[in-house]
Amino acid sequence: MQIDIRNLSFAYGHKTIINGLSHTINPGDYLVIQGKNGSGKSTLIKCLLGINSVKNGMIFLDDDDINTFNKWTKFGYVSQNFDSFNYEFPLTVQELLKFSSITKASEHNYLMLLDQMGILDIVNDNVNSLSGGQLQRVFIVKAMLNDPEVLILDEPTASIDKQNSEFFYKTVDELNKQGKTIILITHTDSIENLNYTHILNMGLDLTTTITTKPIEGDEES
Amino acid sequence: MMLSFFSDLFQQDFMLRALFAGIILGAMAPVIGSIVTVRRLSFIADTLGHFSLVGISVSLFLSTFGFAMFLEKPLYLGIFFSVVGGFLIELFRRSYKNYKEISMVIVISLGSALSAIFFSLAKKTGSLYNYLFGSILTITDYYLVIILVTAVIVTLLFVIFGKQILSVSFDETTAKFLGINVSLFQMLFMIVLSVVVSVLLESAGVLLISSMMIIPVAAAMRIGWSYKSTLVISVVFSELSVLFGLWMAYSLRIPSGAAIVSVNIIILLIVAINKRMRDRRQIKKLDKLK
Repeated sequence: MQIDIRNLSFAYGHKTIINGLSHTINPGDYLVIQGKNGSGKSTLIKCLLGINSVKNGMIFLDDDDINTFNKWTKFGYVSQNFDSFNYEFPLTVQELLKFSSITKASEHNYLMLLDQMGILDIVNDNVNSLSGGQLQRVFIVKAMLNDPEVLILDEPTASIDKQNSEFFYKTVDELNKQGKTIILITHTDSIENLNYTHILNMGLDLTTTITTKPIEGDEES
Repeated sequence: MMLSFFSDLFQQDFMLRALFAGIILGAMAPVIGSIVTVRRLSFIADTLGHFSLVGISVSLFLSTFGFAMFLEKPLYLGIFFSVVGGFLIELFRRSYKNYKEISMVIVISLGSALSAIFFSLAKKTGSLYNYLFGSILTITDYYLVIILVTAVIVTLLFVIFGKQILSVSFDETTAKFLGINVSLFQMLFMIVLSVVVSVLLESAGVLLISSMMIIPVAAAMRIGWSYKSTLVISVVFSELSVLFGLWMAYSLRIPSGAAIVSVNIIILLIVAINKRMRDRRQIKKLDKLK
């Protein structure tokens, strides 16, 4: 999936958050979006996911205008803190993953993915009894379940410890090597050890800079 | 007292009708109620009930002009207005995205005001009591058929679209990545909920509808270990409430809706106290091990 952002601007009322951003994300790219709180990272993601409607500028997803795009199963999304999910009602990990599976094949996939994530033993546990790290990995399995082409991760390690965070980034690297496009948002993490291909830096003064990781950086891993 | 209840139960038609209706509603109310609870919209059944009451009051008002159909079958307009109330809630909910409850306050206020106006214009405020507190013992064959048809629709909906309903209910934001048309499902569920609320109106009454839907689920949530187990336990609690509630209503000559809800509350209290005691025992055990 190619994501083509063309001269995108976005404002909440009179306050401009994104000003004339253009960038193309190619299949297999690993884009890290960095910036301080309020720099527009989450706003950009909401635009890419069609949650914020794009009025100034354009976003094309595989040549389809985002305003008419409907193949959202090509995307997997892990939100920050999972605040939109009601994890207080009794629900097992297995139930969550079963009703999140689109096909029978993906329904059978979840055990393998849980195993890959090292959390197969919690399959029958209640979602509201899991630790932050376990919950994080369950939601990544949920996002991966239907084999999306693009995985969008919004500050994924905000609520987990260093050890889980390192394990998480290794998993993301692995997914990228398998050909998934990764879009990772972060404002605190040290990114030197990540195998990203591009960094999009968003400043509080509406400036955006895009840098490509040098080839030798890719070879380091 | 118990013996005469059981002998009447199978000898009197009205008792048998009440039993069948109670059993069906006892299963349907918590099934819908569980979804409402997951969506954190527990107040919605009350709101729709109040708007359904507008339909009943308009029916009574129209019947004063000689339209006998409206007097005999006020449920049709009740369902219609309940669906309108559902659409209004969705409409306001989109304007106040982070304040879902505001949309319900607006709709419940409008519903209460319109109901009061039309009941007053119809000069039949006496019938208001039945619609506020309900009476399952006075339901007709026609109403029983309506309950059955609604139950079949709800069952089919859950069998065919269960996955989608759960996905949208647990997480609206990410449901579209599962290829679900979220707006369409929200509307579909709102329509079904509106119909169920209207159907519950006559037996439970507008003030007790949400209790029948939510309280068994609230009790089951305390002891359920999965969605499925919580659902099954809530249906069991609900059916127990219906059976004991019917017996209480018949024996003590009190409104059936109020009796059913009272049993529901008693079950909730027993479960809550039992859970607290179990938790305390477990903490003490752990302390001893330390």
